[in-house]
Amino acid sequence: MSEPARDAQAARLAELLSQSALRNQRAFSELYAVTAPKLFGVALRILRRQDWAEEVLQECYISIWNHAGEYVAARSAPLTWMTSIVRNRCLDWLRRPQQEATGDEYEIALDAWRDESPGPVERLAAAGDAAALARCLGMLEGRQRQSIMLAFFHGLSHSEIASHMKEPLGTVKTWVRRGLERLKGCLQQAESS
Amino acid sequence: MKYDDPQLRDKLAAEYVLGTLRGQARARFQSLMRYDGALRSVVKDWESRLAPLARAGTDIAPPERVWQALSERLAGEPRRPRWWESLALWRGLAATGAAFALVLAIVTGVSPEAEPPMAMIAVMNDTQGRPAMTVSWPSMQAVRDRPFLRIRVIQEHPVMAPGTEWELWMLPSGEGSPVSLGLITTDVDQVMELKPELAARIDGARGIAMTVEPKGGSPTGKPTGPMVMKGPCVKL
Repeated sequence: MSEPARDAQAARLAELLSQSALRNQRAFSELYAVTAPKLFGVALRILRRQDWAEEVLQECYISIWNHAGEYVAARSAPLTWMTSIVRNRCLDWLRRPQQEATGDEYEIALDAWRDESPGPVERLAAAGDAAALARCLGMLEGRQRQSIMLAFFHGLSHSEIASHMKEPLGTVKTWVRRGLERLKGCLQQAESS
Repeated sequence: MKYDDPQLRDKLAAEYVLGTLRGQARARFQSLMRYDGALRSVVKDWESRLAPLARAGTDIAPPERVWQALSERLAGEPRRPRWWESLALWRGLAATGAAFALVLAIVTGVSPEAEPPMAMIAVMNDTQGRPAMTVSWPSMQAVRDRPFLRIRVIQEHPVMAPGTEWELWMLPSGEGSPVSLGLITTDVDQVMELKPELAARIDGARGIAMTVEPKGGSPTGKPTGPMVMKGPCVKL
C-alpha cells in the first residue's frame, strides 16, 4: 500500500472507531469488514487453533466496541491499537495453564512457519509498509531475527523457541534481548536520519 | 526487582509486547502498567515499532458465524446485560456467608463411600436468594480417570416441568459466555460425569448456574431458558 493510501485508510479507520464510540452499528460493521481478516490472521497465528481464534476475535471486537471511545486517548494508529488488543488477548489466553499444551497442530504450525520463514519480512519491505522495520530486521543476526519472529509472529514462548531451535533456554533469551536492543537502536537511527 | 531502572523498564516493555513475558511476570507487568503512565508509553512505543510486523502475515477471513454472533450481541443496544454478564450477580457472595457456612457443614459433613474430598463448591441460590443446590467437585487430579461433579439438593425447589431439562453451566473466568456442563436428569442428588476438557477448565470457573432448557438441552449451545439457580465457585 502506498503511503497516501495508508494514511487515508488510517483516517477512515479512526473515523469508524469514533462513530462506533457513538454506538453507530453500521460504522462498526464496516470496521469489522475491513479489519477482521487482518486481526483473525494475527489471532490464528498466535493461538494456532481455529475455535480459540474465533472466540478471542469475537471478544476482542466486543471490547473494541465498548472501548472505541478510548481510542483517541491511545494516540496510536487505529490498526496498531486494534492489533495490540488482539495480541494481548491472545497472550492472556495462552497464559491459562491448561491451554499451554499443544499437540500436533503446534507442529503443523511450525512446519508452515519454515516455508514462509522469509515471508513476513519480505512482505513488509515489498509493501513499503514500515520499510525501516524490515530493513532493521534484515540487519539482525539470523538467529536473533528468527527468535524474534517466532515469538512475535507465532506467539512462541522462550522455552518453545528453545525447543524448536534446539538451543539452550539462556541462549535464546539472550538472542531475543540483544535482537530487541539492536532493533530499537536501528529504528531510532532510521528515524533521526 | 527494581522497576525504576529505565533499561529494565524498556526491556520488560519490549518483551511484554513481543509476547515472551509470560505467566506471573506478565500479570505483574500488567498491574504495574495500570498505575504507571510513563510505562504505558514505553509499551506503546514498542507496539508502534513492532505492530506492522503483526499485520505482515496473510489475511485470513474469519467464518461468517463470528460476525453473526457479534451482531447478535450488539443487536438491540442498549441491551440488558445477559444474566451471566452481570457482575452484581456474583457480588452477593459475602451476603450469603452465613447460609453458606451452614450448607458447607451439610455438604462436607456427609461423607459417604470412599470418595476423594471435595475441593471446590458452588452453592447455588434460587431466584429468591435461598440456597437450593450445591455443586461440588474433588481435585480433578485425583479423579483424572473419571472426573465428576456431585450435585446435592438442599432445599425445596421448583419441580422439573415435563418436557424440560435442567442444564448446568459453568461461567468461565474472564468475559467468556457460559459453557454447558451437562443435563441434570432428575431433581435429586446425583453425580454428573464431566468431560475431560471441561474438567481441565472447571477450577477456573467463576460460577455455576442452571437454566431450564427444552428436552435434550439448549439447542444453541448457550443458555436459552430462564436461569433458576446460580452461585459463585469457592475453594474448600
